[in-house]
Amino acid sequence: MIAGLKGFLTTIRWVFKRPVTANYPEEHLPVQPRYMGFPALLWDTTADEPFCTGCMVCVRECPTQCMSARMHDNPNFAAGTSHRRKIIEHFEINYNRCILCGICVDVCAFDAIEMTHEHELASYARNGARADLPILLSQGRRWMERSGWRPRNPEKNVAGVALAKRAPATAATKLDTGSGKAPSREDDA
Amino acid sequence: MSVTLLDIVWAAVGAVALVTAVSILGVSLVWLERKFLGRLQGRPGPNRVGPFGLLQPVADGIKLLWKEDVSPGPSAKVLFYVAPLLVFVPSFVVWLTIPFTRDLALRNLDTSVFFFVAFSTLSIVGVLLAGWSAASKYSVLGGFRAAAQLVSYEIPLIVIAITMVALAGSMSFVDIVEAQRTVPYIALVPLAAVLFFIAGLAEIGRTPFDIYLAESEVVGGPLVEYSGAHWAVFYLAEYGNTFLVGALTALLFLGGWSWPFGTLPAPAAVALFLTKSYFVTVLIFWVRGTYPRLRIDQMMSLGWKILIPLSFVTLVTVVVQRFYGWPSWTLTLMSLATLALAAWLQTRLQGAPARALAEKYRRDAVVVQAKPRLHREAPAAAKVEASS
Repeated sequence: MIAGLKGFLTTIRWVFKRPVTANYPEEHLPVQPRYMGFPALLWDTTADEPFCTGCMVCVRECPTQCMSARMHDNPNFAAGTSHRRKIIEHFEINYNRCILCGICVDVCAFDAIEMTHEHELASYARNGARADLPILLSQGRRWMERSGWRPRNPEKNVAGVALAKRAPATAATKLDTGSGKAPSREDDA
Repeated sequence: MSVTLLDIVWAAVGAVALVTAVSILGVSLVWLERKFLGRLQGRPGPNRVGPFGLLQPVADGIKLLWKEDVSPGPSAKVLFYVAPLLVFVPSFVVWLTIPFTRDLALRNLDTSVFFFVAFSTLSIVGVLLAGWSAASKYSVLGGFRAAAQLVSYEIPLIVIAITMVALAGSMSFVDIVEAQRTVPYIALVPLAAVLFFIAGLAEIGRTPFDIYLAESEVVGGPLVEYSGAHWAVFYLAEYGNTFLVGALTALLFLGGWSWPFGTLPAPAAVALFLTKSYFVTVLIFWVRGTYPRLRIDQMMSLGWKILIPLSFVTLVTVVVQRFYGWPSWTLTLMSLATLALAAWLQTRLQGAPARALAEKYRRDAVVVQAKPRLHREAPAAAKVEASS
């Protein structure tokens, strides 16, 4: 009987506390650093082009086949400002299919795709759950700014570093792209 | 006594006014319950529609009235649509005789307690009919449960009402309140107040006793198949009944519109009565926010083994006190003694075997050593101590 009355105290105590619920559209709870949202494509600032070469490995490995990609010849390669012969022309992720598994990030050999914090992507458009290349790249740039992302393999993938390595004469113009150490997700946080 | 047209018109106006007033009270309770329950659970409660979500019941009502009113194919159509009225009408008719102050009652009957007992019993028919006519097994099961529960808890409720009638020497709510001018009856018979409150909770199917509406067992019981306006009628009747239990507890035990410091002017008296009623109603919501639903056998044994014997003992003590003209403080003493005796009996009859069983389980239990939990950084004091 005493225990039964103690229950009343437990519940009434909450009336005088601030509710724990966040009023969602006005109030956003912070996204935790380890949160894994939708993947996005990253931007190579040294050559002013995407990292992605359109090699299709993520498209093949995707368990839900939510991606499609198409490559074309890289005009920057012809101009000599990039080491990438091919570059992505068209890329699309269907958010209805993506299960946020991160396999595309694991298989990517070009540091081109990363799981971001993107999650509020609802749309009124019937076809609104599809992200094309410009959207994915803008999300990727946002992710790079927020997380301080660094490439895992800059010698191979960052245009400035790779070009400098191939032509040692121009090594003086080597761009600072961070250390070559592969950062883990926790380090970004 | 001849009935003139004017009488009929006044009766109609009074009835419309009463239904409107009680509906507004009920609708205010919808908001109050959702807000209070939300705060009890650490939620803000409704806060989208209007300031503090005050217009939430209006939004609910508009939504319910716009919904399509469907009935299952094999249901008994006439009974299916009559049943909500059979629940709704008695719960509102009872309000005819509830006095808000000494002079503010639609019909100030000499036997208003009897009137309340007679009409509150009628709603069982509506609930049972709603359960049966929908041709759904959940509805029927819910209806059976409702019949069992409402009939069981009617007995302590009525016996306590009779007790209060015996105490005040009148069947009129006005006289019962006037008799509490100096001391409210909750001070004389606290046990009776508790019994009445519990039986009232069961009678309106509020949470510890919402067995016949249990969503997880009978998916809403007799109300499964109702939608739209007919469901809204049930909903309104439920809140009308909730406030009725609050009002009756205020009238029978808390002194209604009177307080011990003299006579209040009529508006203040009405406000005092409504305050007391709302207090008891909030108590009902508080119980809902605190206790889980009882099992059906627990509900039955609570009703038949505890509430009914205790209510009859209370009746006998009150009658003996009135008959021999003992001073009224003996009533308080006897009421508390009954409670203590019941608690002692409960311990002797049920507590001791339960404790013996618990002791046996404790003795025979195989102690499983829990593994240390995996922490991100292992705490320094994660030593596992071998317990004997």
